[in-house]
Amino acid sequence: MHELGIIIQIVKTVERFAEENGVTNIDTLVLQIGELSSVIPKYVEDCYPAAVDGTLLQDTKLEIEILPGNCICHKCDKVFNLIQHNKQCPDCRSQDWELLSGRELLIKEIIAY
Amino acid sequence: METFKVLEIKESVFEDNNRQANLLRDELKKNKTFLLNLMSSPGSGKTTTVLRTIEALKSDMTIGVMEADIDSDVDAHAVAKTGTKVIQLHTGGMCHLDADMTKQGLSGLGTEGTDFIILENVGNLVCPAEFDTGASKNAMILSVPEGDDKPLKYPLMFSVVDVLLINKIDVIDYFDFDLEAVKARVKKLNPNIKIIPISARTGEGIDEWADWIRTEVKNWKE
Repeated sequence: MHELGIIIQIVKTVERFAEENGVTNIDTLVLQIGELSSVIPKYVEDCYPAAVDGTLLQDTKLEIEILPGNCICHKCDKVFNLIQHNKQCPDCRSQDWELLSGRELLIKEIIAY
Repeated sequence: METFKVLEIKESVFEDNNRQANLLRDELKKNKTFLLNLMSSPGSGKTTTVLRTIEALKSDMTIGVMEADIDSDVDAHAVAKTGTKVIQLHTGGMCHLDADMTKQGLSGLGTEGTDFIILENVGNLVCPAEFDTGASKNAMILSVPEGDDKPLKYPLMFSVVDVLLINKIDVIDYFDFDLEAVKARVKKLNPNIKIIPISARTGEGIDEWADWIRTEVKNWKE
C-alpha cells in the first residue's frame, strides 16, 4: 500500500504547478497509470480523499486513464499486450520482446476554471 | 457561465522528488559527503551489516548513520553503542523515504566533516525503489533465507541499485538458494551491478564491501 505516499507527491506537484500558473480552482485532475506500474488505480482512488484534504485539490475530481502494457516482438515485430498474452508473442511464441508502454505514472493534465 | 481550461502537465509523478533529489546530491557533492542509500526487506540483516561496515571503516573516515523506520529506535541504539553519530527518522507510517525527508534527516545529523553517511531505508523492496533519496549510490541486501526468486518478484529494486550484497552466505548450505541463478537473474535486469556475497555475522566478504565503499568515497570527493 504505497499509493498514499504517491498521491501525496502528486498533490504537491500539482499545487506547485497551480501556483506557478496562477490557477486557484481545479475542477479535475487527470492521471495516467500504466498497467505495469506498481500502482493500483483502485487504491489511488481510495486514498485520494485523504491526501487532498485541506489542500488546493480538496474539491477536485480525480480521473484515471489506464495505459496498456504493450511490447514489440523482436522476432516478428508483432505488437501485443504483455499481460493478456502472458509475456509471450501470440504469433511466433517468442519471449524476446521490448517494452513499449505500461510503466508510466503521469500527471496528464488539470482542468481548471 | 464558468469557463474551463485544460492545462497540460505531462509530468511524471516522481519528477518533483527527482528534482529535489538532484539538488540534494549536488549539495552533498560540494560538501564532499558520500551518502549511501541502503535498502532491503525486513530481517535481511541491514543493521548488523551497518555495524560491520562501521567497524571496518571507522579508522579510515568519519561516518554517520540515519536509521529510517516506521516506528521505534532500537536500530539507532545499536549504532550509537559503536560511538558513531546516528539519527533515527520516523516515517510515520510511510513505507519509504523521499528526498525531502532525507534532507531533513541530514540537517539533523549534520554533514559537516562527515565523509560517509549510511541511510538505512525502511525495510521494503517496493516503494524505496521508486523514490530517489538524493543518495550518491544505492545498495541493497538480499539475504539467503529470503530465497533466490526475489529478483523475479521485485525487478525494479534490483534494476536501480549499484551494488547488491547477498547476506547470510554462511548458512547457504541449509537453504535451497542457487547463488549462480541469482547472479544471472540480477545481471539480466542490471548488467552493471556489483554483487558481493557477505556474512555480516562471520565477517565474510566485508573486506570487499569496505573496499568498494573506500573507492566510491574517494571518487565522490574528487
